[in-house]
Formats: sequence, structure tokens, C-alpha cells
Amino acid sequence: MLRTDEIQINIGPQHPSTHGVFRMLANLDGEVVTKVESKVGYLHRGMEKLAESRTYPQFIPYTDRLDYLAAIAANIGYVQTVEKLMGVEIPERAEYLRVIFFELQRIASHLIAAGTNSSDLGGMTPFLYAMADRERILDMFEMTIGGRLTVNLPRIGGIIEPPEEFWPALKKFVDDLPGMIDEFNGIITGNEIFQARTKGVGVLSKELAEGLSITGPVLRASGVKWDVRKNAPYGIYDRFDFEVPTGENGDCFDRFVVRLREMEESGKIIRQAMRDIPEGPTFAKVAKVVKPPVGEIFHRVEGVRGEIAYYVVSDGSTKPYRLRLRGGSFINIQMLHHVVPGWKFADLIAILASLDIVLPECDR
Amino acid sequence: MPQFGSDIFLLIANWIRGLFGANTYAADVVMDIVKFIMIYVVLVLAVMVFVMLERKVCAWMQLRVGPNRLGPRGWGQIIGDMIKLMGKEDFRPDNVDKWPWALAPMFFLGITIMVFAVLPFGRGMVPVDLDLGIFYILAISALSVLPVVTAGWASNNKYSLLGGMRSVAQMISYEIPLVFSLLGVVMITQTFKTSAIVEAQQHVWFVLLQPIGFVVYVIAAMAEINRAPFDLIEAESEFGCGYFTEYSGLRFGLFYLAEYANLFLISAVAATVFLGGWQGPFLPGWLWFAIKVLFMVFLIMWFRWTFPRFRVDQLMHFGWKVLLPLSLANIVLTGVGIYVYQLIFPGIGG
Amino acid sequence: MFGKGLIKGLGITGKHLFNRKVTEFYPEQKPVLPPRTRSSMYLDVPKCTACGICANTCPNNVITITSGKDENNKRVLTGYTMDTGRCLFCGLCTEACPSKALHTTTEFENAVYVKDELLWDMMKKYKADASKQEEGKDNG
Repeated sequence: MLRTDEIQINIGPQHPSTHGVFRMLANLDGEVVTKVESKVGYLHRGMEKLAESRTYPQFIPYTDRLDYLAAIAANIGYVQTVEKLMGVEIPERAEYLRVIFFELQRIASHLIAAGTNSSDLGGMTPFLYAMADRERILDMFEMTIGGRLTVNLPRIGGIIEPPEEFWPALKKFVDDLPGMIDEFNGIITGNEIFQARTKGVGVLSKELAEGLSITGPVLRASGVKWDVRKNAPYGIYDRFDFEVPTGENGDCFDRFVVRLREMEESGKIIRQAMRDIPEGPTFAKVAKVVKPPVGEIFHRVEGVRGEIAYYVVSDGSTKPYRLRLRGGSFINIQMLHHVVPGWKFADLIAILASLDIVLPECDR
Repeated sequence: MPQFGSDIFLLIANWIRGLFGANTYAADVVMDIVKFIMIYVVLVLAVMVFVMLERKVCAWMQLRVGPNRLGPRGWGQIIGDMIKLMGKEDFRPDNVDKWPWALAPMFFLGITIMVFAVLPFGRGMVPVDLDLGIFYILAISALSVLPVVTAGWASNNKYSLLGGMRSVAQMISYEIPLVFSLLGVVMITQTFKTSAIVEAQQHVWFVLLQPIGFVVYVIAAMAEINRAPFDLIEAESEFGCGYFTEYSGLRFGLFYLAEYANLFLISAVAATVFLGGWQGPFLPGWLWFAIKVLFMVFLIMWFRWTFPRFRVDQLMHFGWKVLLPLSLANIVLTGVGIYVYQLIFPGIGG
Repeated sequence: MFGKGLIKGLGITGKHLFNRKVTEFYPEQKPVLPPRTRSSMYLDVPKCTACGICANTCPNNVITITSGKDENNKRVLTGYTMDTGRCLFCGLCTEACPSKALHTTTEFENAVYVKDELLWDMMKKYKADASKQEEGKDNG
């Protein structure tokens, strides 16, 4: 192949398709990317250090601000970690409600992922459809707790009881969900241009994905059947019957399709949870001042972009001695400089879009 | 049967000519100036309508209502936008190549306006009825790659340069299927004259005789003017804005104007060559022409707001491996068709 | 066949061209927010016992309370400010309030022109509100 002088271009931190303040330095040989370096940290806020000067309940609103598209995932992960440390059992109804909200959040976030994936490839319209559909989920959050994006939903020891009008809205949404996914399949998945842009592009092999400890839909698209909800169930996930969708090739198209199918599975889980949910209280008896015993704990949940894990060390006071958190985005970004070289510049954007990163979670 | 209102513009033209009496030379000069001004006015008005139409159509498709503040239902928004663009500071970044950078937008618009000289806007309403009308259109519009690559190079910006680079590859390789797709019609009518091509469609539009040619033309023309899904040279999710990243204010406005003028151009050519131009019942000819152009514009907008963008190598493959053979096959088919037609009805023109 | 998906996509966008639009006409039509919405804070001053739990619960030290003693040696509120420039609107303070004096409201138009206006004096807010209600009563 003809080689030309390489030029180095800077993509981000202000760029329409880096989804925030992500920065890449790409070396281009004509249209072909020869090397890409990812630069993170523009949104570093020192979350782990902040946690050390906040009491346990006070840190819940901060977990909202990790992954702003899936605040509830980080919320519930944190709250469950503290409960595990304290040995608190929460009521049945609260567990079911947490599952419902977690899966709603997963759908909301995957809708955005599907929409932005399309808009990064140049098809702007599906993004707006995704936004319109997601709005209904956000409305449900708002009527329950009052927040839309940074919801701050669960509390240590339980979760707030949703109002009456939540249940009809939820039922209607779950019923409409297959229609929404069909629409996405029609306008994006089935589109030949989209398939040409994504099929076989940015293939992440099974070995590399496992080696880089990539998690979430990106890992499953590479054909690894790993889902914390199935493999190491937390909460009451072992009671639900759902599939773990996996891809075959690990290309951008698979990553997109896996997300759409995960939305379907989430709908299934919500339907089962709505059927089985018992009546009863939603708060366990927890002291007003949360003071876990001395010790340390590790807990992980299947977040939207990968595993969300918390490691908390308690010295017996009201504040954590040390809190370490792991988000999916930061670790998934690593694949870029392994996979991207050799692909075209436009593919770099497609690969980044299919990773679906959220920068606050990455930079923390 | 002369339709109501179809001759208004011709009457005006005759009236202006009448003012000069026997001095035909002066009348010709004045008429040329009037025609030029008319083209410009029509162009600017059409672009204003198209910009608003694009914003409204895309909003409606995306479940939005679009601009809704200025004027009735927001249709006056474009006037505000124009005033804003004109009122902006004429800002030139340091280190751009001064003259090429400044001249590129003007040339881009100028080239587009030149093509409008041969379009038949209505019965007898061709500003300059060249014998080589179609040839002229293709030749002049092929030039428009030059200002784009000039702008990309002179901007001294890597994103612009990449956009300019892509434009050369894209516009030149889609030029060929574009030419071949129009050739079928030229073979049937045996003329390059735009007015004669419209006359020939009195009974049947060429979109019915040349469906492949029409499809190839629309695709190639969309690529030629860089409309989505072929908007690789702007590709806002890849390099911000492509070749006009460094332009702002009125210069950006000129690019914008030229882009929509190009949209008008390809729609007008499609209407002239394939959709029967100003031919149509009941309504005046120029109104039929406007309706057909609007239909084409709407169709192209519909494509833009539905499809994702091609990748640059796929674009090349599509142009050279799909469109070019298809347009060549169309020419062969047309040739065979004409031959068979002449065998069955000997003596009737081809 | 190549092109089938493209045509299906065109059909979907074409259908949406005539669908009902979801845009809210904001300044003309104010949205009706659900009652639990956390958009603004409101302090019911007579109910407040100046216990300071809200200030302790707040993750960001938004709330500043000053209190004094009245003639019966009972604690009364003398000042209550919220620095909403730092506020996360997490709602923890309203949940912690034992006397349900502090609560969230659906008043969402909180934008201000100068930074100082972000400092909400809750007692002043309450007084303004009370006098407005009284005016309403007089007129009604």
C-alpha cells in the first residue's frame, strides 16, 4: 500500500463524537489510522477522595454523577455495598423495586447508546427517537423520586415507594418497548449503510476482550457469556428468567445489536418483577446514623457499561476510610489502541460510538 | 392551449424589449442584465425556502416542530439567520493562505450561479438557450471541486485539509456516473439543448423511459453536491465541519448559500431532464417547474434525515463498482431500445 | 436484496413526518411537574425548630443555620440560607427534616443573572410568599 506522510490530529476534548471531554491523538496516514492514544482525565473530580470526607448516605448523590446516563446503576451498586458491609437485609418489595428501576435505567441508557451510535455515523434522526422514548422513563423516575438524570433513588436500607400513577405508566412503557425496538431495528439495524459501516469493523477478539478485562455489552458482543446478574447474582436476580445476549464477531454491529437485545431482556425482567412483586414495606430498620462495623467489603453489580464494583474499607466511623470504585467506561477505553490501528478514520468514530463510553465514569 | 398566467414573465420581457424600440443591441444588453438579476433573486429566494424547508422537514421527521419563533409558525426564521450571518465580524484566522481562503467561497457560489443560465424555468424562459446546454451544466458544475479543495488547503487546518482531500476523490469519481446517467436521455432526444429535452417530454416523462438513469443520477448528484448520506467532506461527527471549519460570518454564509443553490441545481436538472420540466396540465409552466423542484428537494432531504453516512472507501466502491457499471448498462440498454424502436416504427425519430 | 432496509427506514421517517410532535412549547405552556419533583426548596419557617439536622445531612454544606433563644429559652430560627450554587438537589435534607418544615417544590425557574442571587435566604422567601398569599386573600 502507498505510504504517505503521517499527520497527527487531535480529536477532542471538544469534539462532537467523543461524547464528552475524551481526547484522542490519532496518527493518520491519509485516511488510515496508524496509531491512537487516548487521553483521559479532563473530568477528574476525585470521587474516591470525596467519599472519604462524606458520610455513607451523603455519598449516594455523588454516585449519580459518575455515569450520568445510568445514575441508578451506580446508586444501587453503592447502596448494596454498604448494606452488605452492615449486614442489612432489605424487604422483598424493596428488592423488586430496585430491580425494576435498575432495568429501566439500563433501557434508558441503551436507548441513548443506540441513538448516539447512529448519530455518530451520520444518521441524526434515530437519536431523536431514542430521546423521545427515553423521556418516558425519565418521567417515571421524576414522579417517583423527583429527579430525572441524577435521581439519587435508593437509600441505605431500602428504596422509596413509587406513587400510584407509576404502575400504569410502567405497564404501558413495557408494552410499548418491543415496538420501540422494532423501530430501531427498522431504521438502524436493517439499514444497509449502517451494516456496511459496522459489520466486521473494529473486531475485538474474545481473547483480547478477556485479557483487557473488558466488561458489559462490549465483552458479550465478543462472544463471552459473562453477566454478573447470571454468574454471580446479587440482590434477587437469581429469581428471574432471562437470557444473556452475546454476539459472535465482536464487531461494532454486534455491540450495537447486543445492546438492543439487552433492552428486550430488561423488558422481560421488568415484566416478571411486576408480576411477582409483593406488598409490604420498602425500608428496613436502619439506624439514622449509618455506622458500619470495622471491615472491608467488595461488591459488584452488572452496570450498564460494564461491571460497577465498589471496595469499601470501614474504620467503624460514619465515613468510609477508603472507597475504591470501578466503572466500565475507563477499562473499556483501553481497547481503542489495540483495535483501532489499521482502520479508517471514520471507523475510529464508529468504534468509539459502539463502545458507548461516559466520561464522568471514566475520569471519576 | 396557453394556460393562465404561464406567459406573465414573457410579457414582461417583451415589454422591456419594447422600451428600446428598434435598438435591439441595447435591448439585448438590458435583457441579459435583467436575466442575471432574476437568476440571483430566484436563487436567493429558493435557498431561503429550502433552508426553512430542510429545518422544518427534519424537525417533523424527528418529532419536533422546528423553528417556531419568528414570523408565522417560525417560517420567518431564515431572515433572522441571514441578518445574523451578515452582521458577524469578518474574522480571518492567522496563518491562513489569505487570497485563496478569501476567494474560495465566492468562486464556489459563482460557479453554481453560472449553471443556472441554461435551465428552462418555464415555457420560453431559458436565460441562455445553449445548444450544448447539458454539456455546459456538467462542465461547469465539475469545476466546483476546485473552490472546495482550495478552501480546505488554504484554511491551514488538518480537519479542513482532510475534508478537501476527500472532496477531490468523491466529486471526481461521481462525476462520471453523473455524466453517463444523463447520456441516456441525450441519446433519446439527440440534443443537448435543455429546452428541446423538455419539449420532447410532452407525452411521456423520461423518468419512465430511463428509470435506471434517474436513480443513478439522483445518487450521483447527491454525492456530487455532498449531501448526506454522502456528506463525507463535512462529516460533522468526524471532523467538525470539514473544509469550511475556518469560515464564519458572511463567508460561511456564502458556502451555505452555495450548498443549497447546488441542491436547487440538481433538483432543477432532475426536473428538467427526467420529470418533464415545465410540462404539465392546468397550472402555468413555471409553477409546474417549481413543484417538481420542490418534490426533488423534499426527496433528497428525506434521504438525508434517514440514512447514516458512507465511509470513504465504501463511497469509492459504490461509485466505481456499482454506479458506473449501472450507468454504462443503461446506455447500452437505451441504445438497443432505440434501435428496436426504429425497427418497429421506421421513420419516426429516435 | 440491497435497498430493502433503506426503504423501510424511509418508511419509518416518512410515517413520523405526520406523527404528533413531542416538543413542549415551554415559555407559553409551563409543564406540570409531578408533586415529588425536586426543583426548588421551601422552608415553612414556623414549623422549623432550628435543630440543624438538615445542615448536617447535606453533603456539600449548602445550608447555614443561625439560631437564637427566645424569652422562654426556646431555640428559634434567626437565619437560614442555602447556597444553591453548590446544591445537588439530592433531597437528603428534606428527608432528614424531623418536623417536615423543609420540603421540595416544583418551582423550576431558578436561573439568576448574578452569582449572589444563588444564595437563597429561606426566611425572606417565606415572608415574601406569605405576604403574597395574604394579598391574594385580601383580593379574593
